[in-house]
Order: sequence, then structure tokens, then C-alpha cells
Amino acid sequence: MPSATLEKALELRSGRERPGQFWKIDLDAIDFSSLQVAPPSDPQIVAPSKPGLIACGLEAAKRDHAEVFNRAFGSVTGTLNDKFASLSAALCNTGAFVYIPPDQSVDDPIEITYTAKNGALFPHTLVVVDRGARCTIIERIEGESAEAVCGIAEIVAAESATVTYAAEQNLPLESQAFFTRAASPGKDASVTWCVAEVGAALSVSRIDVLVDHPGVDAHLNGFFFPRGDQHVDMVSTVRHNVGESQSQTLIKSAATGRGQARYLGNIRIAPHAQGTEASLRDDALLLSPRAHIDSVPALEIGANDVKAFHGATIGALDENLIFYMESRGIEREAAEKMIALGFFEPVVERFPTGMRERLRAALEAKIA
Amino acid sequence: MSERGLRIQQLRAAAGGTQILKGIDLTVEAGRVHALMGPNGSGKSTLAFSITGHPGFKVESGSVTLDGADVLAMAPDKRAKAGLFLSFQYPAAIPGVKVANFLFAARQALHPGDLPPAKFRALLLEKMDLLDMDPSFMGRYLNDGFSGGEKKRLEMLQLAMLAPKYAILDETDSGLDVDALRAVGESVNAMRASESGKDTGFLIITHYPRILQYVKPDVVHIMIDGRIVKEGDAELAQRIEREGYDKIREETAQIA
Ligand SMILES: Nc1ncnc2c1ncn2[C@@H]1O[C@H](COP(=O)(O)OP(=O)(O)O)[C@@H](O)[C@H]1O
Ligand SMILES: [Mg+2]
Repeated sequence: MPSATLEKALELRSGRERPGQFWKIDLDAIDFSSLQVAPPSDPQIVAPSKPGLIACGLEAAKRDHAEVFNRAFGSVTGTLNDKFASLSAALCNTGAFVYIPPDQSVDDPIEITYTAKNGALFPHTLVVVDRGARCTIIERIEGESAEAVCGIAEIVAAESATVTYAAEQNLPLESQAFFTRAASPGKDASVTWCVAEVGAALSVSRIDVLVDHPGVDAHLNGFFFPRGDQHVDMVSTVRHNVGESQSQTLIKSAATGRGQARYLGNIRIAPHAQGTEASLRDDALLLSPRAHIDSVPALEIGANDVKAFHGATIGALDENLIFYMESRGIEREAAEKMIALGFFEPVVERFPTGMRERLRAALEAKIA
Repeated sequence: MSERGLRIQQLRAAAGGTQILKGIDLTVEAGRVHALMGPNGSGKSTLAFSITGHPGFKVESGSVTLDGADVLAMAPDKRAKAGLFLSFQYPAAIPGVKVANFLFAARQALHPGDLPPAKFRALLLEKMDLLDMDPSFMGRYLNDGFSGGEKKRLEMLQLAMLAPKYAILDETDSGLDVDALRAVGESVNAMRASESGKDTGFLIITHYPRILQYVKPDVVHIMIDGRIVKEGDAELAQRIEREGYDKIREETAQIA
């Protein structure tokens, strides 16, 4: 155990303030030092066989693909100086490495499943997509028992690469989830994050795209839906450090019961990043009087020749929509359900096809 | 049965704390076409919403019965199940809910189990064709990004698919071009000519008599300031066309 790294990580602050008066958890008071850590393991990995494609656990990656692996591992999340990413790096006990060679197009998704049991899990998934290559990753985070899971997902995309990374966190209800998901796309590369924070009592996550090259096309899609006593804290950040790139962020959230959530959407356009086009859209739906969502857009625009769009809505279900459905014979409860599920549909449809039915079912179960 | 019809008696209703309907008496007969005309703001939509149970409108007194059943005692979905239909003046957009899924859910709610999915689809395509609607509409989100004309066609599609006993069409004609107007008129006429629609009673709310060239009314009711001030046959609509509402307003003001 690299205890110096751990000590440093434990000392870092989360940088996240408590959103709302009903938010019960102080993220800086969570005791990570006394966690029982699960023994090292590999996730379940299912990948199509393609020439040059690598999809393996971390041990195999270090042993058999040291050069490309070592250069990229931690290269993106290591720069964030994030408490949870640092903890994950210090205690890493599982992970996966995916490499797609130049110009290789992989149609079928590469599926990686982490299953938490017997202690805290610190997974690190690294995806390296070489020049002009294309792939889709589906990551599922599940648990056989309630554990703390503190993970990293990292994308290094070379010039003109295209990658979609879809993550579904569906841990048992008493779990805690901390995820750092960050991408570094090269020139003309396209990266898409699709993040579904479904399970766990506490879900703390961040999604980052570091735009350091022109021609980047970045998409950040996500949804969450705390119910019961679930707490969700999500931050997304697109850093447009150079211009002539575009990004679209779309976050949909709902809360019911005593569900508490905060979403902070950052768009940072550096002073010289001319020609940037960035949009941020977040919609929040409150389905019970005690549910709470803080939705905070933060646009920092340093350049003048840019297009930046921001739109947000928050509120209860629209009575006019409910009445419209009722007037067609649909009972109120069924109408509310259809409208709430429909609310998520635009973001669900951005996930890879094979995930959608499961996600719809998970959402439906939350409304029921 | 003497109770047949959609009977509105001495209906008073308020919106936003103000009484809008000041004692409406009007009976829509099964199988007949009634036109309800009146200037903007006279309370036509308020009447439509009060009958169908929109929560923003409060019925203060009076009664509404549908073939004898007390409509005002029912939740809005029960009113639809009793056979009431409203074509909205401003239909709601519901993102994420697909037209075909919505229509299937509505058809199931009103006529449980009578059409298996394959037959439902065939019927839907047939009715869409009649309304000059592209089949791709089925996969679109309900009214989301629809033009005014597309929304009204979708209302007419729902009317055709749901086969109500009494249909209230609230300014379905407003904002439509001639082609859309004709399509709407033809779909109402086709419904009236069909076995399932021949007994449907219509209350066609309109500001202009245009639509009445396509669908001939049996009775015309004129509403001004929350009251029915005049009733007549189709000729009354022509008179409105020629003279506007001001003359009738003056005449009836004198009577009152
Ligand atoms: N929700 C509401 N709150 C307050 N006033 C309303 C509301 N809806 C309608 N009204 C008022 O009621 C009157 C009748 O409106 P409406 O029924 O829409 O007329 P019409 O359909 O004949 O044009 C108008 O004066 C309108 O401003
Ligand atoms: Mg009106």
C-alpha cells in the first residue's frame, strides 16, 4: 500500500459544499481510513475479438502491455487533484484496460462489470483509443453486498478517435459510490459520456472533459433519480482550453421521497478558446414535497467569439400535461408515470441501444 | 331515453377566482353537430374545460350529465371513459412519450382489450392516411415540436381512434390552412358516416364560421360574456360571418 499517497489523498478536501438544508452527509467527514478493502480482483470483461484490440485486467495490462498502459494510466484523472480520484488511485484493487489500435472500428460494445463484495472496491478503467479508431464501452457497477466503491474511468482518445463510454452505477441501496470520470480527447476526436447514477445511498460523481485540441466534439449525458433517502451529488465540467471545439451537456434528474440531489454544471471557456460552441441543458423534476434538487449552472466564458447556450428547468409535473392525458382516459397515476418516464427519454436515448431497456426499467421501478 | 345527450344546465364556473360562465344551458344531442360560436374571451374554452374537469376551473353550480350520468362527480379520466372527448385549443407537448404508445394507452383505457396491437396499428395507419399524416408521426414525441396544423391533426387522429360519444372540438380550425381545414372536416364527416361514429354528438367551438362550411351544424349557439345569448340553425352562423358579433351583442344587451 503506497501509504504516503494515501495519506495525501485522505488530507484532500472534497471541495463540495453541502447542498440544501436537508442534505445530511458531510463528504469531508466520511472516514475512508478505516474501510475494509476488498482483495484484488479483475472485473468481468466481455469484448469482441478484433485484431490488436486489448481488453484485460490491470495485472495483465502492466505485465503484457506496459508501454502503452503506463503512459496513459492516471494521465487524465491524475491532473484533477480530486480527493476521491486520489483515494481511488491510492487504494486501487481492481480495474480494466482497453486499447483500440489505429483505425480499428469496433461496433459491438466492450462490456465491463464490477461487482462489489467483501469490502470496499477501488476500480480504475482506462480506455485508450488510438488514431481514427472507434469503440463503445459499457460499464456496470453492481454489488452483492453494500460497500463503498470509489472508482475512476479514464479515456485517452487520440486524433480523430471516437469513443462512447456509458456507465451504469446500480449498487445496493446501502452502498456509497464515488466516481471520477475524465476524458482527454485529441484533435478532431469525439468523446461521449453517458452516466446513469441509479443505486447507492450516496452517489458522488464528477464527469470531466479536457478540451486541449481543436476539432473536439464532446457529449456529456447523465441522469440520476434519488428516491427514499438517496443522496446524489454530480458535477460535470468541460474545460475548453483551446477553441474550434464543441461540447454538449445534457443532464436530467428527478427526485422523490426524501431524495436529495445537487448538480453543478461547469462550462469553462478559456480566454483564447475562440470558436468554441458549448451548450448545457439540465432539467430537474420534483416528484414529492420533501425531495430536493439544487441545480447550478456555472458558465465561465473568457473568449468573445464563442457560442454558449444554457437552459435549465426545475419544477413539479405540469398539471396541464397530466390533464391532457387524463382527458384521454388515462388514470392520473399512470399519466404521471408516463410523463416522468418520458422526461428521461431524451437522455436515455443517448445511451447505447443495449442499455436502454434496463435503464427504463430502473427508472420505472423508482417511480412505482 | 329522455336523458340522452350531453346536458349542461345552469352551469356557473370560475377561473382564477372570477366567475366566467354565468349560467349555461346547452344540450348536445347524440348524432348531431352543435356549433358554439362567440368572440374571444367569451368563455368557450372555459366551458370545454369545466365539462372535462380541468383542475384550473371551478364549477360553482349547475349540472352536466352525459346520457344521464353525472359528469361533474367524475375524475377527468372517468369522464373520458364515460364517452367525453376534448380536442384542445392548445394541445400539450409531452416530450419522451411517443404518439403511438400514447394512443395505444388511451385506446386501452377507453376500450380495454378490444384491439390487439397489430389491429390497432392497422387502424392507426388507416386514420393517419385519412388525415394526410405521415406514418413517421407514430414515432414522434407527443406534440413536441409539432406545427400548429400538425397538433390539430393529431387531435383529430385521437378523436378518430378513441371514438367518443360526445366530442368537444375547441377551435380545432383556428390557425389551420385550407388543406388542413379540409382534412379536419373530412375526418369529422368520415367519423359521422361510420358505424361507430354515427351517434357521436359534436360541440364544435369556433371563432370563425369557416369550419362550418365543411361540417354542417344542426344547431348554432352564440356565447357572449359567459352566457348563451342566441340559438338558431346554420343560417345563424352565416349571419355572424356577415355581421360579426357586435350586432348580436347589442340586440341581446337590450333584451337583458
Ligand atoms: N386560468 C384562468 N385564470 C384567469 N382567467 C382566465 C383563465 N382562463 C380563462 N380566463 C378568462 O376567462 C375568460 C374566458 O376565457 P376563455 O374561456 O378562454 O374564452 P374563449 O375560449 O371564448 O376565448 C377570459 O376573460 C379569460 O381571460
Ligand atoms: Mg378558447
